[in-house]
Amino acid sequence: MPRRRANLIAYLFLLPWIIGLVAFVGGPIIAILPLSFTSWNLLGSPRWIGLRNYVEMFSGRGDFWPIVFNTLKYAIAGVFVSVTWSLFIALLLNRRVPGAGLAASLCFAPAVVPYIAMAFALQLLLRADLGVINYWLKCVGIQHPPDWLMDPDVVLWTLAAVTIYTYYTGQMMLIFDAALKQVPKELYEVASLDGASSLTIFRHITLPMISPILLFNVVIGFLNTLNMSFTIIYPLTAGGPGKASTVLSVDIYNNAFKGFRIGYACAEAVILFVLCALSTLFIFWLSKRRVYYEA
Amino acid sequence: MKLKPSWSKVLLTYLAWAIVIFILWLPIAVIIAGSFKQLVDFSSYPPSLFPSKITFDNYKSLGSVTYLKNYIINTLILMAGTTIGTLISSSMVAYPLAKINFRGRGFWFGSILATMFVPSSVTIIPQFILFSKLGWLNTYWPIIVPAWFAYPYNVFLFRQFYRTLPAALDEAARIDGASEWQIFTKIIVPLSRPVFITIGLLSSIFWWNEFFIPLIYLQTERLKPLSVGIFSFARTWFRMRWDLVMAIATLMVIPPLLLFAVGRRYITEGIKTTGLK
Repeated sequence: MPRRRANLIAYLFLLPWIIGLVAFVGGPIIAILPLSFTSWNLLGSPRWIGLRNYVEMFSGRGDFWPIVFNTLKYAIAGVFVSVTWSLFIALLLNRRVPGAGLAASLCFAPAVVPYIAMAFALQLLLRADLGVINYWLKCVGIQHPPDWLMDPDVVLWTLAAVTIYTYYTGQMMLIFDAALKQVPKELYEVASLDGASSLTIFRHITLPMISPILLFNVVIGFLNTLNMSFTIIYPLTAGGPGKASTVLSVDIYNNAFKGFRIGYACAEAVILFVLCALSTLFIFWLSKRRVYYEA
Repeated sequence: MKLKPSWSKVLLTYLAWAIVIFILWLPIAVIIAGSFKQLVDFSSYPPSLFPSKITFDNYKSLGSVTYLKNYIINTLILMAGTTIGTLISSSMVAYPLAKINFRGRGFWFGSILATMFVPSSVTIIPQFILFSKLGWLNTYWPIIVPAWFAYPYNVFLFRQFYRTLPAALDEAARIDGASEWQIFTKIIVPLSRPVFITIGLLSSIFWWNEFFIPLIYLQTERLKPLSVGIFSFARTWFRMRWDLVMAIATLMVIPPLLLFAVGRRYITEGIKTTGLK
């Protein structure tokens, strides 16, 4: 087949994505930049105000910095929770004990349940006085358990902890599970014959063998946590109490669709995009070094 | 040589499994048990997971929840519209990325990877403006139409699968004079049944669960899917009707679990391919 014809046909197949990229992803990403220099409430036409949205953000008069700080705190804590939790489960599932297949299914199944339904259950469970969790904590002697969702100092950590119920954590668990099964069994057998403890085996065999996938999952987990943050936080706390659990995605929603401050919301979207773009570049750099996508 | 794990290790593992599974299933247990509780049970102390007296009244009352039937039908429409769209478009887009050697392949595959993780909060405002200019607010189009223009994650899954199919197949067909479209529809698609099932299941589950996008575009009660509907239903009460909310939540929890039970193999195997290679 002549080369030019091959090119043409390939691009015909790609056409849906090329249109989708321009209309629904790339176009919007480019559009937020000029919009971020305007003041607009969706009615009338946008008014150019130059850098004023950014000046307002960075000046520290508003609540931009606390919200960025919340975002980073939440995303870092969230990725820590979902990576350690999913790795821990994957390690448990890789013990040579009968029933591991069933256990894996039972551990993954809750990940497909709608988080919005879970959020109602979590609200019940985490109530300060009437919640089952605090009742259990009192039963084991903790006299003053925290008010998980209403205490401004606790709420972000609670929200980071509930990422264990998201689809993404379940996905990560399966990926770790697959990675662990690729570690040559002989290594473990030799090590345990030599009398190495479980911890030693984990540190000196498992961890080095899965470290590329671990690093990869940390960065992807960070992006997924940012991506999911609205869905996790909004139904549980709507960003409250006050703004204690407001992260960028929640604030973008509030500014754009509740307050109709389109320009300011777009400036926040630019910041969020830069944060994600830097992390994505980091993944690219990693996979270049480790050659991930070559089958 | 095979090492037998000691009894204490086996027991310890089972104990750890039990704790983990308990934690993960706790909210689901709360939802299902809650759907059989009376409203007073939700404010009794000490709190209990179990109903004081099992009642089916909540399910009977669901019949009088004004828009519940709409919520369910809307969810199914959105699920079908997006899933069919993404299966057709993503399977097509992935084909040249895996099987045709063309100029710019690296760039376009890169564009798939690079946009996989752009949060919807970043793109939502211009998209909203675009769709409102088209007069599509309070319709299903802003949700269904983008699905017909390929999702990066699904393209990626298709591409990974196509690459496992031996190159000799399509090369032989090419030599025999088959067109690329014929190779795609007659050879690649039939061989790719497993990945179609995987993405069909994952996409159905995703859109059954999705909250943010419908929240933005669907304000009319009659048009909302379950995920947004349960949210607005919960807010219509001065005093939260936990009993009814838990019954609706049970309706939301069961179908994805059933889909998972039926397609467990396809789902887990499909997800695993995203991590390796």
